[in-house]
Amino acid sequence: MKLRQKLVLLSTLSKGLMAAVLLLGLPWLVQTLTLNHTDQALRKELRRVQVRITTTGMAEFLPGAMGNGHVHYDLLQDEYIELRPITEAATGRDTVRDTVATLPRQQYGVLVDFRVLRHQLRHNGRTYMLEIGKSIASIKDMYSLLRTLAGYALLFVMLSTLLLELGVIGYLLRPVDQIVARLRAVRGPGPPLPPLRTSTSDFQYLDDTIQQMLHTIRTVFEQEREFIANASHELLTPISILQNRFENMLQAGNLPEEAELQLVSSQKILQRLTATLRTLLLISRVENEQYARTEPVAMAELLDEALEELEDRLLDRGLTVHRHLAAAPVVPKGNRSLLFTLLYNLLSNAAKYNEPGGSISIRGEVHANSRYELRIHNTGPPIPAEQLPHVFQRFRRIHTGSTEGHGLGLALVSTIADFHGLSLQIQSGEEGTVVSLQWQQGLVA
Amino acid sequence: MNVLIIEDDRALARELGLYLHNERYHCDFARTGREASEKLFVNEYDFVLLDLSLPDQDGLQLLAEIRQEHNQQASILILSARGTVDDRIKGLDLGADDYLPKPYSLLELVSRMQAITRRKHGVKQDVLEFGPFALNVSDRTLRHGETEVVITKKEFDLLHYLLLHRHKVLTRLQLSEHIWGNMISDSDERDSNFIDVHVKNLRRKLATHAAGDWIETVRGVGYRIHTTPEA
Repeated sequence: MKLRQKLVLLSTLSKGLMAAVLLLGLPWLVQTLTLNHTDQALRKELRRVQVRITTTGMAEFLPGAMGNGHVHYDLLQDEYIELRPITEAATGRDTVRDTVATLPRQQYGVLVDFRVLRHQLRHNGRTYMLEIGKSIASIKDMYSLLRTLAGYALLFVMLSTLLLELGVIGYLLRPVDQIVARLRAVRGPGPPLPPLRTSTSDFQYLDDTIQQMLHTIRTVFEQEREFIANASHELLTPISILQNRFENMLQAGNLPEEAELQLVSSQKILQRLTATLRTLLLISRVENEQYARTEPVAMAELLDEALEELEDRLLDRGLTVHRHLAAAPVVPKGNRSLLFTLLYNLLSNAAKYNEPGGSISIRGEVHANSRYELRIHNTGPPIPAEQLPHVFQRFRRIHTGSTEGHGLGLALVSTIADFHGLSLQIQSGEEGTVVSLQWQQGLVA
Repeated sequence: MNVLIIEDDRALARELGLYLHNERYHCDFARTGREASEKLFVNEYDFVLLDLSLPDQDGLQLLAEIRQEHNQQASILILSARGTVDDRIKGLDLGADDYLPKPYSLLELVSRMQAITRRKHGVKQDVLEFGPFALNVSDRTLRHGETEVVITKKEFDLLHYLLLHRHKVLTRLQLSEHIWGNMISDSDERDSNFIDVHVKNLRRKLATHAAGDWIETVRGVGYRIHTTPEA
């Protein structure tokens, strides 16, 4: 899972969790808030009543005026004020603190719950109990209004912050995507990349480090390129001298026969040295990305060419070749001469390690996702299981038959396959050895 | 024919000169780009053999100069140990006539020079005859009278090369160098021993049409073709 997806998921989950907690706690919170609010409203009312008592006396609040002991001053009877005298004994104490409680009181002659503030006051030597009440039903209206409002607010905040966060995450993480894309693109030395545009210091550091590493890679490639060029020159020139000298000596034709045979034998050794050196240099050059891989390469043509080159070898050993290619195998971005070398070496091995009169079968099929698989099967004796994992390593010879090369052929094959992004596999058993090549036929994303 | 050998390694230049001298070429030598420029300015050459790694100048640069500045009609062959991929393409693009990576066989070099000469003078040697046989180079067939002798591609190349140098003994190495060139493979068929297999097959095929030993084995060193049958 990508970092961006994880962060988006985290953000969404945390928002969801927060919303759930808030929604669960909302009724209690709103209730508490409204009750507090009501209590404060009642206390404010009390102060107004006290002010009125001190200015106009308490006659208008005393029972009798309205007859039922309650003084409702709203039409719906949601609120009331009641003032009644009480005896000292009824209170039991000198001073009693104000209390606020939910108590049943009459409304239209029915008992309903009221939020009631009770306050004792002394006036002209008598003690009075002042009650100011507000019906719970009216509070509940406000409570539900508040709850709806809070719900909408919550939804709005959640959605807007979520959207904002997703946007910000996307923006902040864009450098990461770019860095990942850059790293994916690194297959060898390339031109220096422009610096990453980001204000996040971690990403800047990361980008700097990557740039440095790419620089190092470039330097190493350059050095190796130089080394290869020097090695080619320094090693191939002396070989050239020897080879030409041997050729001249033989051409003169004035040497005793024994000496000539010695020379021929030396020539062969020199030829082996040349072949090994050339293969090593080719492997290095391919690894050093000194070859272009730009053209679509039709593998069927190359198979034809390679088989034609090997015609005599096949005839000599009495080998038959079966060929069945589904569709036309094409490596979309390849190097023709390298791919030829690859197929030539595979087929040459298939001939070399075959038994006389055996067969080579070349099969190509298209798999899902337009992956092409090319299988080259030979009927030679099995490669020992313990050697199989090492056959693509340099200087590993396959010890099956009497013929032996310099042990670099399959290493070269593997290097060229890697260079083209072909997957290379080998299997071997009683029924022969199969080398399989797989690649993406269509354009690689 | 005049040849300018531009090569900074004395020993290599000496071997090259010796072989070409025996082939009746007249050789001149230059060890640096500067020296080469001077000689090219003064003399006319039929061939310039150019090594790309010169002490004072890049061979490709010199090549471009020869093609642009000098009024030289010389055919240019690049002989290089550098062997980078681009060198060959660049060299041919800059007007070189051929490219041989080191190490090469001297016989191959002379063959290429002869081919260039034939091309230059429009000499077409389409049919090479020996005894009752005719090797047709343009349609790549071997005929005995009216009958076609079926031979493989490699057998054809081998026979062609032997016929081009019909009075010489060609060593196995020279033959394998010509037939497999710079094919890079981990295989013994590049090995000069495999030449023997080809020669054996060719002899058998020739003998079914006209008795006699057409290809002589010389002292275990190499082979020579006979234009008249040996008993």
